[in-house]
Amino acid sequence: MVMKDGRVARPDNMSVSNDADGPRNQGRASLLVIPGEDLGESEGHEAGHGVLEVDGRLRATKHGRMNENGTEIAIEPLRTAYIPRPSDLVIGYVEGCTNNIWFIDIGAPFNAILPMSLGPGKAAFGGTRSLMDIGEAVLCRVQEVEETHSSVVTMKGMGLRKIRSGNIEQVDPHLLGRLIGKGGKALRQLKEDTDCRIIVADNGRVWIDGEFDGIIAVRDQLDAMSDDAKSTGVDA
Amino acid sequence: MGIPLVPQLLRSHLAELAENDERHDGRARWEPRDTELEIGVLRNAEGSAKVRMGDTIVYAGVKFQIMTPYPDRPNQGGLMCTAEIRPVAGRNWEPGPPSPESIELGRVVDRGIRESGCIDVDNLCIIPGEKAWQVILDLFAISDDGNLFDAFALAGIAALKSAMLPEARFEMSDSDRPLPVSKTPIMCSYHKVGGRFVYDADGKEELGGDERIHITLGDDGHVHSLQKGLRGIFTENEFAEIMEHAQSRCKELRELVLETEEAD
Amino acid sequence: MGGYGDVQMIDENGLRVDGRGPGDLRPVSIETGVIPVADGSARVIWGTNHAVAAVYGPMECHPRKIQRQDRAVLDVRYNMAPFSTTDRMRPGFNRRSREISKVTADALESVVLLEMYPRCKVRVEIEILCAEAGTRCVGLTAASVALAHAGIPMTDMVVSVASGKINDVVVCDLNKEEDNYGEADLPMGILPNSGELVFLQMDGDLSPAEFQEAWDYNMEAAMLVHQIMVDALKGGDA
Repeated sequence: MVMKDGRVARPDNMSVSNDADGPRNQGRASLLVIPGEDLGESEGHEAGHGVLEVDGRLRATKHGRMNENGTEIAIEPLRTAYIPRPSDLVIGYVEGCTNNIWFIDIGAPFNAILPMSLGPGKAAFGGTRSLMDIGEAVLCRVQEVEETHSSVVTMKGMGLRKIRSGNIEQVDPHLLGRLIGKGGKALRQLKEDTDCRIIVADNGRVWIDGEFDGIIAVRDQLDAMSDDAKSTGVDA
Repeated sequence: MGIPLVPQLLRSHLAELAENDERHDGRARWEPRDTELEIGVLRNAEGSAKVRMGDTIVYAGVKFQIMTPYPDRPNQGGLMCTAEIRPVAGRNWEPGPPSPESIELGRVVDRGIRESGCIDVDNLCIIPGEKAWQVILDLFAISDDGNLFDAFALAGIAALKSAMLPEARFEMSDSDRPLPVSKTPIMCSYHKVGGRFVYDADGKEELGGDERIHITLGDDGHVHSLQKGLRGIFTENEFAEIMEHAQSRCKELRELVLETEEAD
Repeated sequence: MGGYGDVQMIDENGLRVDGRGPGDLRPVSIETGVIPVADGSARVIWGTNHAVAAVYGPMECHPRKIQRQDRAVLDVRYNMAPFSTTDRMRPGFNRRSREISKVTADALESVVLLEMYPRCKVRVEIEILCAEAGTRCVGLTAASVALAHAGIPMTDMVVSVASGKINDVVVCDLNKEEDNYGEADLPMGILPNSGELVFLQMDGDLSPAEFQEAWDYNMEAAMLVHQIMVDALKGGDA
């Protein structure tokens, strides 16, 4: 439907707030740059995400839109892998398990680890599959991320649980902002209109649950949003 | 091929969709994705075609080689059909020797074309007992979003039908002549998704689906080849339903091939 | 390099077999997003060369033995489709393709910011659908665009082109006959913003002056192709 797995616009170390309320720096048509492109003097500026300082000048290293946040020049990439950050809300699939660990595909380069102690319940050593089987879906939170981008996730927390019903869609990161809307308004409206529970996770996956017709209505809305974006050239 | 994870939720969602006569991308049960066919797209091939079905994109190229006929069949040439799905085509296609999946793909498409008799290998003789034409059809996927079978089969027959025997290059005559292809066999594939067969399954439906059936029909509606793949059971009624659809869809795709040929 | 010096490929007016002057590049066009299921992709049509490249990743690096703790690894495959050449190419292991895959990986690893993704790999799949001399250059160029399209960080784009010598005349961007019957071939992989090199091979016979001429032709051609890359990534009219 909308997007293949894994691509989200969350840059690795962008220092802006983790606010799901709306797209960052939208509005002004910011300059589209490509790797190697010169972005001006480095004097008086800091190199943010996707920007390198070389011989007194700033240079883009990613294909995306250049944004100025005060003195910081950063690139918002058009396409990039999901790189997890602590406290991210993520939707994952159980890919495998050992005696006391589940391996969760969260659409990042590395699978996340969910230890038994942070899992959905208590079981004897070796009882992982009886608690949660391969192929099941979970709503969980990133607890910590290693240097090498592999992460530990937890199900201990408000609202975190196994996803037993409904549908999970992958949504283009550039549409997430539009989906949520200003102050979450668009999302609230969509939930009301379709009478569905909708959870937008930070890894670009969206969980939709409710009556069948409602789920279809949400899907149609996501499709319309995606088509609209393509025709107005917002997407790349 | 790497075995992708099948999320349980996908299967239950596909089942719910099927129960409500819906598909995840809004198509109707027998509705195909947008299908495009182009011929003459590969300059170094003697015949070629490119097919796009949704996000599935494949090429077919026809190359000719001179072969020595088998002693017991001195007038016969050959037809060889290979399918390659290289890692370029998807995250789950791994490098290495051909996987069972890609071998099955190649052989099923080959049978559909060969069994229709559209290429008369007895008509490929150059010098009896010494030289004959070998027709080599190479099927090449560059983007896999499901139903490579039909994409390959369509590209394959379109490439064959537009192929020119390189008689001039091989100094057998003043000009090249078209490869004689007497029919237009067409394949239609059906996957069981959420408990019922649908036509032209895409990547997601293939991932969450079960068995599949491939049907190749000739110009006269005759059945030329069948294949059932993967684990699963189907009934006579289910098969009859599929066959009915195949009769009409194969005709449509045949029209597309003939129109494309003519327009060229 | 055949070195068949007596095959006339450039006339008294300096016109080559395909009508180009000595310094002229073949027509080049570049498009992105041609392989929808990939994380990034590009198509390059260069003369009658036709190449596509797909990028997948970053992803966990398997097999373990190629994994590196401190950085990502580029897993590059250059391949020629069976129908890409006049005489059909049998699919399967090919030494030339293996070598080109390696030097292409070396070139790209010189610009990709590999340290950002330790223990990961990025797959780069280059497929030549139609070959007409200079395919390793076309492939490397296509791979660079596909990497940018996939959002992989790089210090610069890579543009690759091969100049050489035919009938004692140095020419830019060899075509098929020139590559087969000419006297020298110099493919280079150039970083447009600095003029630095990440890829270099040569075979044949070039005097120091001729070498400089061929080198300069490659540099000029790289600037032209770079502009075409920029247009492709920025959406043409954007």
